[in-house]
Amino acid sequence: MQNLESEYRVEMTGISKSFGVVSVLDNVNLKIKHGEIHALLGENGAGKSTLVKILSGVHQKDAGQVVLNGKEINPKNTHDGQVLGISVVYQELSLVNDLSVAENIYLHKLGASKFWMNWKEITNDAQQLINSLGFEIDASAIVRDLSIVQKQVVEIAKALSEDTKVLVLDEPTTVFDPTDAQKLFDNLLRLKKEGMSIIYISHHLEEIFKIADSITVLKDGVDTGSMPVSEIDTDGVIRLMIGRELKDLYPTRTSKIGDDPIFEVKNLTAKDTLVHNVSFTVKPGEVLGIAGLGGSGRTETAKLIFGADKKKSGTLLLNGKEIKTNSPADAVGFQIGFVSEDRKEEGVFLPLSIRKNISVTSFSSIAGKLGFISVDKEYANVLSLIEKLNIKTPSSEVNVKNLSGGNQQKVALAKWLSIDSKVILIDEPTRGVDVGAKVEIYNLINEVAQKGVGVIVISSDMPEIMGISDRILVMHEGTIYGELPKEKFSEENILRYSIGKPLK
Amino acid sequence: MALTIKEQLSSPGGILKFLIKHNTIFIFILLVIFSALISDVFFTSVNLSNLLKQVSGIGIISIGMLIVILTGGIDLSVGSMVALLAVTFAILVNTVVLPLAILLTILIGFGLGSVAGYLVAFQKMAPFIATLALMTVARGLGFIYSKGSPITFKTAGGEFMSNFANNSILGIPNIAIVFFIIVILAMVMLRYNVFGRLIIAMGSNEEASRLSGIKVNKYKFLVYAISGSLAAIAAIVVASRTNLGSPNMGMAWELDAIAAVVIGGASLNGGKGTALNTLMGVLILGLIGNILNLLNVPSYPQQVVKGAIIIFAVLLQRFESK
Ligand SMILES: Nc1ncnc2c1ncn2[C@@H]1O[C@H](COP(=O)(O)OP(=O)(O)OP(=O)(O)O)[C@@H](O)[C@H]1O
Ligand SMILES: [Mg+2]
Repeated sequence: MQNLESEYRVEMTGISKSFGVVSVLDNVNLKIKHGEIHALLGENGAGKSTLVKILSGVHQKDAGQVVLNGKEINPKNTHDGQVLGISVVYQELSLVNDLSVAENIYLHKLGASKFWMNWKEITNDAQQLINSLGFEIDASAIVRDLSIVQKQVVEIAKALSEDTKVLVLDEPTTVFDPTDAQKLFDNLLRLKKEGMSIIYISHHLEEIFKIADSITVLKDGVDTGSMPVSEIDTDGVIRLMIGRELKDLYPTRTSKIGDDPIFEVKNLTAKDTLVHNVSFTVKPGEVLGIAGLGGSGRTETAKLIFGADKKKSGTLLLNGKEIKTNSPADAVGFQIGFVSEDRKEEGVFLPLSIRKNISVTSFSSIAGKLGFISVDKEYANVLSLIEKLNIKTPSSEVNVKNLSGGNQQKVALAKWLSIDSKVILIDEPTRGVDVGAKVEIYNLINEVAQKGVGVIVISSDMPEIMGISDRILVMHEGTIYGELPKEKFSEENILRYSIGKPLK
Repeated sequence: MALTIKEQLSSPGGILKFLIKHNTIFIFILLVIFSALISDVFFTSVNLSNLLKQVSGIGIISIGMLIVILTGGIDLSVGSMVALLAVTFAILVNTVVLPLAILLTILIGFGLGSVAGYLVAFQKMAPFIATLALMTVARGLGFIYSKGSPITFKTAGGEFMSNFANNSILGIPNIAIVFFIIVILAMVMLRYNVFGRLIIAMGSNEEASRLSGIKVNKYKFLVYAISGSLAAIAAIVVASRTNLGSPNMGMAWELDAIAAVVIGGASLNGGKGTALNTLMGVLILGLIGNILNLLNVPSYPQQVVKGAIIIFAVLLQRFESK
């Protein structure tokens, strides 16, 4: 027994873990103080999520020791972790779609104490909790009807609904726009002051320097050391993460932009969403960015064009000819592609292999007349993409659910970027992707544009959208509020248009 | 690269994992060995050929069931469809030339399956409900058309079918050959054809499938139509075996088919399952019945044992997914 109050609230020492024959963590140490925000960094597949899942009881370590408040703990499941005061916002959303916001937030209490639940009280509590975080969501709404941003807020509220001592946030801001992210940071800084220990995982390095006190970097399952954030800069972190310097994050745009638009959208209005009177054009070889706050209708616009949502009015012209996209199958028929922002629900097939995931859009090139798939062509295509996008996996037959989040994102992208398209809509291309792999993805987008494809990219990541676009449209309340040519790119200009104000 | 069998076996706990992964085949092999040990009648050609004849009908609809279950659906109507279609076939055999009778029966099966497919795919009805309704309708129609009693084959065509169904090639009953051909076709389609890929994709994530440009409704419709067509083939097989079509045929077969598919490791949520494993599931169920018969176990205890085996098989698969 140790009675001395330790300097650290959490001490993970010598942690090792493998899945089958694949070693994921090897002798990793992670120490978190009281009242500290500790950033956990590393490339996709480095083992960050696995490490925090060991802390919370999702996975069991093969070797090592976990000490909480000076006492060794061995959580066997997430319930054990919760009882000990460890709450995690996992990388992948894990809400129950058919329950209400309040029910989800207090799910862990169902059946715990009383037989009957007081729903009114619970809904009130949940509402207060969400409001106290500075967000606006109706606590009685059904989770299925929420946007992905709102779902993430609910996840965070859920983690804070109990007596949390250690809060783990695994890439919490991937779906947030800068304003939402700032709200989260304000909350985290407040919680830290109240003494909470926070482990923060993110690929947005600028966030780390904003809020973290210290960092630990994982590389290929080994920790390369911890240090106060004041002792390192962005380049240093990148060097620790990927083991080399990173020169240019954004490739120089080399594609020739055609004169006549390849794709035109005229007065597009949705039947069921806020999108109205959206008009714009894309030229072949152009990367058109769409910026805006969460909820401004960017995703809905993309889905409307792609035929995934119902249109009320408006026309689409492909190479000057009117086309009708009443379903995604129609859109795909016209060689329009769409990468969803919600990779788990809409982007990948988690229980299927990488190969089967990637091939699902490319049967026209890998299958013969009667639909029989050429095994050779299929493997060639899939293996070249795994290499090109640097997907970290032992084989093409690994199920996507066993990949790290960033590598899942690469699979979702590979499916579309590998086939011939005329127009491609990409909603949040690098969500959850590490800095090194971002460069690969930007290069790939560049390459696709070079082939004369009209590329439309939606992104909440300001530096990203300015770095890769030739032109940016900014959406506000369901329609396009303004357009920025390259000379006018700046965070301020984008933000002004996003909140419906003219430029200065 | 995927691990070779040798690597799988030599990794820590590898043998156990290998056994769990291929549990259906091992249960099957164990059962065969067990049967051979406790009964000397088991390994006689008469018994084995009887066993194969008995499972062929259910086996054929199990393949249809598998395809439906892969999309995340279920088809409760197949047992009753077998009854209705057996009656239909018997009537047709006695009225038109044999090839036409066979063709029409399959077409009617396709049509009935299409009704379920239409309700599920285009009217968004829950598969359980749509096919449950169809189940009672089909059974009822079977009784109406047959006036409640079996219809015997009376023509030369009928005689031909009955000969075909009761004969063997190289010791393998003809109807088992029909079943095996269907299994092989399903294996090839599921593994190497776009159709198989798409229905597995749909079953594992329908929204992602839709957003990948897959015509989800079309394929949903098709799987029920195929299931109906296979029910027709099963009906022709069982009717020919007994030389008649009766509205009491195929009673509760849909449940045996679901059990076979599940014992074969398929997930009722869709997206997971193979034709080879379903074949194993069918044979396991058949074997249990066969060996209990050889041991003179009455039919009610047999049901208890069958149920226990289903639970055991599904529990084993839980290990696998961990
Ligand atoms: N259940 C599992 N079975 C097999 N392998 C797994 C499993 N979970 C994770 N892995 C593997 O472990 C490695 C580390 O994954 P982890 O999710 O911890 O990475 P990460 O650092 O969180 O990456 P990202 O930044 O992409 O989220 C990856 O190579 C992944 O493929
Ligand atoms: Mg992760």
